[in-house]
Amino acid sequence: MTSTPGSATTGSATTGSATTGSATAGTTFAHLHVASAYSTHYGVTLPEALAEQAAAQGASFLAITDRDGLYGAVKHVRACVSAGISPGLGADLAVHDEEFRALGRVVVLAHGHTDGRGYAALCRAVSAAHSGSAGQRSALTPASTGPSISRARLADLAGLASLTVLLGPDSDVGLAVGRRDNTDAATRLTHWQRALPEGAVVLEIVCHLAESGTVGSVTPATRMLALAENAGLPAVLSNAVRYGTPDEAVTADLADAARFLLPLAEIDTPQTNGQAWLKPAGAMRQVARMVVDAGLHEGGALERLLRDTERLADRCSLDPVSDIGLGRPRMPEARIIGVTGDPVTELWRRARSGIADLYSASGSRAVEAAHAQLAHEMKTVEHLGFASYFLTVSRVADIIRGMGIRIQARGSGVGSVLNYALRTSSVEPIANGLLWERFLSPERQTLPDIDIDVESARRHDIYREVFRAFGSDRVSLMSMTNAYRGRGAVRDAGLALGLPDEQINVIAKQMWRFNARDFRRALEEKPELEALAAEVRESQQLDLLVDLTARLDRLPRHISVHPCGVILSDASLLDRTPVQASGMGLPMSQYDKHDMDPMGLIKLDILGVRMQSAMAHATREHHRLTGESIDLDRVPLDDAKTFELIRSTRTLGIFQIESPGQMELVGKLQPEVFNDLTVEISLFRPGPMKNNMPLKYLQARHGEVSPDYIHPRFEPILRETNGVVIFHEQVMRLFDELTGCGLGKADVFRRHLGKPEQLAQIGEYLREKALARGFSEKVIDQIWTVLAGFGSFGFAKAHGAAFALPTYQSAWLKTHHPAAFLAGLLTHDPGMWPKDLIVAEARVLGVPVLPLDVQSSALDYRVEDLADGSQGIRLALPELVGSTETERARIARHQPFSSLQDFRDRVHPRRRTFEALARVGALDTFIGYDRARRHELLAHIQSLRGTAVVIRADQLAFEVELPVPRYSGDRAGAITSLELRGRTQTDLELQGLNLAVSTHQMTRFHSLFKELGVTPASELGNLPGGTEVLLAGVRRATNTPPMRGGRRVVFISLDDGTGPVSNVVFFHDAQERVGGQVFQTNYMLVRGRTRRSGARGVSVTGENLWNLFDVARQVKERHSLERAAAEEAANAGAYAAELNAQPLILTPAQLSSSSPGGTLHHLNAAQSA
Amino acid sequence: MPHIIDAPVDVELSADGDPRAFIWNRFEHTVIGQPQAVFKRTRWWENEGIPTRIDTELWRLDASRGGEEQHRYDLRRGTDGSWTLAMDWG
Repeated sequence: MTSTPGSATTGSATTGSATTGSATAGTTFAHLHVASAYSTHYGVTLPEALAEQAAAQGASFLAITDRDGLYGAVKHVRACVSAGISPGLGADLAVHDEEFRALGRVVVLAHGHTDGRGYAALCRAVSAAHSGSAGQRSALTPASTGPSISRARLADLAGLASLTVLLGPDSDVGLAVGRRDNTDAATRLTHWQRALPEGAVVLEIVCHLAESGTVGSVTPATRMLALAENAGLPAVLSNAVRYGTPDEAVTADLADAARFLLPLAEIDTPQTNGQAWLKPAGAMRQVARMVVDAGLHEGGALERLLRDTERLADRCSLDPVSDIGLGRPRMPEARIIGVTGDPVTELWRRARSGIADLYSASGSRAVEAAHAQLAHEMKTVEHLGFASYFLTVSRVADIIRGMGIRIQARGSGVGSVLNYALRTSSVEPIANGLLWERFLSPERQTLPDIDIDVESARRHDIYREVFRAFGSDRVSLMSMTNAYRGRGAVRDAGLALGLPDEQINVIAKQMWRFNARDFRRALEEKPELEALAAEVRESQQLDLLVDLTARLDRLPRHISVHPCGVILSDASLLDRTPVQASGMGLPMSQYDKHDMDPMGLIKLDILGVRMQSAMAHATREHHRLTGESIDLDRVPLDDAKTFELIRSTRTLGIFQIESPGQMELVGKLQPEVFNDLTVEISLFRPGPMKNNMPLKYLQARHGEVSPDYIHPRFEPILRETNGVVIFHEQVMRLFDELTGCGLGKADVFRRHLGKPEQLAQIGEYLREKALARGFSEKVIDQIWTVLAGFGSFGFAKAHGAAFALPTYQSAWLKTHHPAAFLAGLLTHDPGMWPKDLIVAEARVLGVPVLPLDVQSSALDYRVEDLADGSQGIRLALPELVGSTETERARIARHQPFSSLQDFRDRVHPRRRTFEALARVGALDTFIGYDRARRHELLAHIQSLRGTAVVIRADQLAFEVELPVPRYSGDRAGAITSLELRGRTQTDLELQGLNLAVSTHQMTRFHSLFKELGVTPASELGNLPGGTEVLLAGVRRATNTPPMRGGRRVVFISLDDGTGPVSNVVFFHDAQERVGGQVFQTNYMLVRGRTRRSGARGVSVTGENLWNLFDVARQVKERHSLERAAAEEAANAGAYAAELNAQPLILTPAQLSSSSPGGTLHHLNAAQSA
Repeated sequence: MPHIIDAPVDVELSADGDPRAFIWNRFEHTVIGQPQAVFKRTRWWENEGIPTRIDTELWRLDASRGGEEQHRYDLRRGTDGSWTLAMDWG
């Protein structure tokens, strides 16, 4: 809103003038050229705010004309509908002529009430601007490499009176006017008039009341007006708006800095002043007067300018329904989805046959129930006219399965028998207690949403196949708007202020776990930010940085392809959404997921899930080695050994339940059947965690309290969760039981529970109905407390069950085929843990990870049968740091090699790769796996000389010996390579592979651990609760899960090489003691107390932590000091005991101080105390 | 001869929001013709805190005191709405 005193004065004066204003000008002004925040790095106000502001200013129309696209268009139209004003749509586009010469930027506006012709032409114009060859243009006009449309194409699209093109100050005409070259301006205008259909060209007058002689001053504006008068063309007034209110001009400055990648002080063309705001009618009229007054114009010029502006706005008012097609779903045509007759009949046929196949094994009652449920679902589908939708989704699922790719439906669609029967989903809904109404009902009219998980490695193949099958005019990828978050915001704010990169980096690293808009509060509250807070207090510039960062938070930052959304529609798709190229080359809609339902676009989430790829890899490896095929989707869901493994909490690598928090919950919950997994996954969510639901459930599950069903009629609903309401489906059933409202309506109530303003009304309705249905006041009070407290939390059981299936499948693979499963994990890296922890897990499971070897390492991790009958996993070639893809491909293709010479001739590695392979031991095959000779091998390779050659893949070579020299006698051992001397195999592997497979990287600390009395992670589980322990290791994960009470808790998972991980919890008081180290130290020694959780779980409450390297150094220095003083040899046990017993009152600052002497002094002091 | 005045003045606005007259040294100066507003940007990032606007508002206008010869003046409006007579251009 116009909040500054200056504009307020202007506003009130204008209101006063209402009675004196002429009939045409009135008190409203229609803005035709407005960039929303979706013009990233340019506009800074969201469409919703702009529409509200325009309506409050009395406007009846507002256009959004984002730069290079319609990014904010749908949001704008919806915002206008709710603000009660007419929407206009356009785009601010660069144009070039037939010789690819830049013609500046113009605003292209769609004409309304044309049955969508104008809007379609606009969509096509935007797509055309993005489809041209930027390379071709940039060769001629190096300055313009962005999207640009040719004038000829624009002229085509403007035909049939579909579009108006505004030539403003940034057009070639306006730029000529700005140069005071009136002749050139007139010539250029003539070109435009000749090229475009009659009536399509309008001149745009912009004046930001800038200083005379600068851009945006009154002089070029008044000349532009004169040009229009001379040419006999209409002129309209705009404000080339970039923000709603004057105080947002600061944010626009930041956007400019980010766009130019320059500090504000160094930008050559900053915005001329802060006047590009959405000015109310009075202020715009003031501008018009000044423009007209500054030149010599015909009589009535002022009124004509304002009237022509209003007229164009009228012409560009779009009807949300007839022009844009808001709210009208469009499915792919029947023939595209392989249907010849009526889609409803076809859907019935396919569903019935699916039920016959899938349920007949479960008995006739199950078949009957499935048919009954199908009839129920089909009624809604027919009513809503969604038959084609289901056929479309099932067609996509068929395409994916036909490619031999694993597929798993997720989301509320899993609750549908129809989806199960069509094989879109693989979870049986009836026995799992899932509800169709959670997915679709007559009360829930938004387009349904079915998510499909596929193997991540095959996702792009699937997209291409879907484009091919449906036709590229019916399919597009969906985009997503990436908004500013803490780090990006502080980086761009720091850039604008010209802060040094290093300083910004240091600050940006601390910008996490809070919103940028709360930066100032975080500085006050978070102990680890205290040092930064002190700096901010001292520096005016940093103080400004804090506020500027908050300004940028949540603003759209850039658009990118959505990770999984695919839009499917009919052949009119490209008339309804503008597209641009995505990173993978396929067209991407400029609309995001929020725009899909309003635009009637069907969106299918085809999400690449790495675990699906990992499991597919595992089954392929198993098949390769044994010839046996595993059908994971037919594995029995009651395998005792699988549940035993899950209950042991050794869940590392298992889908969904491998995080420290999940390990702990699994340990407490002790799952026994598939449904327990669904419950476990559903409990481990922010809502249930905050509401303490896990504890309530566990108490009831383990018999500590008896389940409270409140009323016998609720027992069937709540039995599966021991009386605790966890699932959306339970809330729906409770509503239905209490009120008889039906499940569809119940889902509406459930969603409204999250809106506090609706609670009272729902409560009243429920009470009235429930009393009539025989529930007592007391029961109603009790159940209403539960339901109202539930809010919108909880989880759809359909989601939980869909997640639980791959959880179970991956656990089954880990139990029965650990080598193949771990090979899949190492190849596709699906989880949260780093690879070397998976390697450690393999070691613990008795599956050795075999070193890199050019004879057998493949492009992915392969399982090898070992001589002793067990299996190992061979390290994959891509792990070699610095090798190229073609080199690796040649190695894989030419394996095995008969000699070093054979390897050299057929692979032709680059010198760097050759040496790296030798260093890490991958060429040990050529020295008989005699590691001692690696020095000779490396020295030999380094001594080879030759000239660089380009080689072909199939080059023939001579079979010439290239033996590694073998030295004997006096010279044996004389050859040493400096690169190998003093380095262990672990060092070399970490250097060449970033992954230690021979031994764990913590092994080098094990003697120190022993000396200090550190408890190995593997033995932690044997200690009783409350034991004081020292733990050490490398940080593998940091989690700050949501906690009841809101106080932040930090979980750190430490790996010491002995077991999976030990989990340390730092509560608020310990965080204050430890400070920033809780996030910053990676190798650490921790002191704390054990805390038992459930039958198997144990974690440690951390009290203090030290940098492990500091400790190691101190111990080493202490040893040498003691030796120097000729005292008795250090008694490690005593030292450790003292370290344990003495309260080490070290402040974090002292511990992190860079002076080892200082720290040592404190340790010694503590010791002698 | 232009000279710097830099004195606070009271300004009367027209219904359109333009300055119509200002009172300086107890004398009313009446604006003649269309005054022109000029907004000049600041290097706000060199100062403390986020400003509410990034430009200063200056009005250049012709005015005369009674029937005297008209002068050209610069009036500056602060962010708080107060007015300053900045320049008398003569």
